[in-house]
Amino acid sequence: MDVKTELRKSWIIMIKESKQILRKKAFMIPMFLFPIVMIIFFGYGMGGTVKNVDILVINDDTGTASSALVQEIGNFIPKYGDVKMFSIIYTKNMGQSEAEKKIDAGLYKAVLIIPQDYSERVAKNQSVTLTLLTDSSDTASSGIIINFMRQLIAGTSSSLVTLKIPDLYGKLEYIDFLTPAVIALTVFIGTIQTMGYAIAGERQDGTLVRIMMTPVSRGAVILGKTLHQLILQLARAVVLIIAAIVLLGVKMNGSWLLVALVLIIFTFGAVGLGIAISAVSEDMISFQAISMLVAFPSMFATGVFYPLSSVPDWMRWIAYIVPLTYANDAMRTIMVKGQGLAFIANDLMILLFFAVFYFGLGVYFFRREAA
Amino acid sequence: MEPIIEVRNLSKVFKSRGRKITAVDDVSFDVSNGEIFSMIGPNGAGKSTTFAMMTTLIKPTGGKIKVAGFDAEKEDDRIRPIIGIVPQKLSLYPDLTARENLELMGNLYDVPKKVMQERIEYYLKLVNLETHADRFTGGFSGGMKQRLSVISAVIHDPQIIFWDEPTTGLDPQTRQAIWKLARKFNTEGKTLIFTTHYMDEADKLCDRVAVMNAGKLMALDTPENLKKTSNSATLEDVFIHLTGEEIRD
Repeated sequence: MDVKTELRKSWIIMIKESKQILRKKAFMIPMFLFPIVMIIFFGYGMGGTVKNVDILVINDDTGTASSALVQEIGNFIPKYGDVKMFSIIYTKNMGQSEAEKKIDAGLYKAVLIIPQDYSERVAKNQSVTLTLLTDSSDTASSGIIINFMRQLIAGTSSSLVTLKIPDLYGKLEYIDFLTPAVIALTVFIGTIQTMGYAIAGERQDGTLVRIMMTPVSRGAVILGKTLHQLILQLARAVVLIIAAIVLLGVKMNGSWLLVALVLIIFTFGAVGLGIAISAVSEDMISFQAISMLVAFPSMFATGVFYPLSSVPDWMRWIAYIVPLTYANDAMRTIMVKGQGLAFIANDLMILLFFAVFYFGLGVYFFRREAA
Repeated sequence: MEPIIEVRNLSKVFKSRGRKITAVDDVSFDVSNGEIFSMIGPNGAGKSTTFAMMTTLIKPTGGKIKVAGFDAEKEDDRIRPIIGIVPQKLSLYPDLTARENLELMGNLYDVPKKVMQERIEYYLKLVNLETHADRFTGGFSGGMKQRLSVISAVIHDPQIIFWDEPTTGLDPQTRQAIWKLARKFNTEGKTLIFTTHYMDEADKLCDRVAVMNAGKLMALDTPENLKKTSNSATLEDVFIHLTGEEIRD
């Protein structure tokens, strides 16, 4: 079969899929409404602590006061935890703009700049300012770090020590941290679920077998269903982002095209995973059960609702093998930090790997006989 | 008559939880061009598996099938365009209208648009569904779905029609209508292959009947000859004689 015929047949399948989904109103409404409710619900409720967060301390002061301060930061263990809150990396002679670049690159969650004369001014009871830079795109971690530092400074012997906290990415709230990841999450779960209906559901009602008995290749069926998913999920993401901007005042600081690029690659992987799960599921009920096994760890271990730095180590290891973690990171980097391709290149490479792997897995499992 | 389907030493073994299940066991037969051929047998006899292998949906474990001279394993893409399939499970998209279901099939079989529209009008009228053309099939009765399913299988004018249990669960009027359709397609030169549980259907409609049991072909002949050979009055008696009275799962 030539490429033109393949594409034409893929188009036919895609139109059919779109007609069907648009007619399922009871399915369409919650599909768009559910994530908005999730954003509103979780946006005002989450809190917690962080563990072993990398903080860069630029200490140009050699006095005892700065050493004591840094020691206190490094040794702090939260009340309900058993692990130190910070992992300190020391450096000297680094300017604020260079430090900001380190945060931009995601190397540190915070940078504390201690001026050269800190100890001397504290000893003389003179006013002195510490500068705290935080990755405010991760509003949850940033808030916890700022709160800790403020309490620490308030507890120092000198009341003349002040803390300057520049806004690197503008005034951000938890909702700004949550929204990009909720979009990625809904695209992920939505794709897997709708692929389930499109394959396991069609297999159950016998329509898939009918399609597979026609002169249509396996590739055209998969491509048609995938194109439909890409359009559906991109439309969904656009609706969600606009709803979050209009209803909740969420900021969109980056490029819509980059968001689309991340979601396209990510959706490909999710489609592949959805196909693989549907292909090995005997019916819709078993599909639901298997997909829940994938959805739940993805939902709670990948830093959608709270920063990865606050989850237990075992959960963090799960996060590293789930593509949603990298999609969340890329989406936040674009939407909150407003950064470009260079800053999401690593995430994109990993997502691409997952996409190729899962898509290959899906195509392998989706055989004509499996219909 | 020359054979349009040649089945030679066909076998299919399924593996399930470490067990091997032989669904079809060394079956050989021919189907002649232009005949109405039926496969009968109790549940688990291997009819549907043989059917699925002939329609290229599943691959045999052993043996060969040739459909219109094409190898079912290696040239499945040459076979699919010339066969029409009416599956047992009425596989229509409930969210699409009758017309959209037919157009989907026509498009997948590369039927030219103009020809397809003419055929859709013709066939919808033939099966009395012309007034329901733009209704979603989800609301259709079983008989309406069966009639639509039949015409969606012939929208590309196939040489051979595979029909899995064509009248199961249908009222006598619809059964008569389906038989009439089958005869019409046959007089137009199409070869028809049925599986059925209704012995009267096989008796009245088919030129030859293959009786299968436990994956094997027990007998193959005209309904009259089968009755004569086993000294039975009806095809149902022949069936019981060849396959036994034990109830199958």
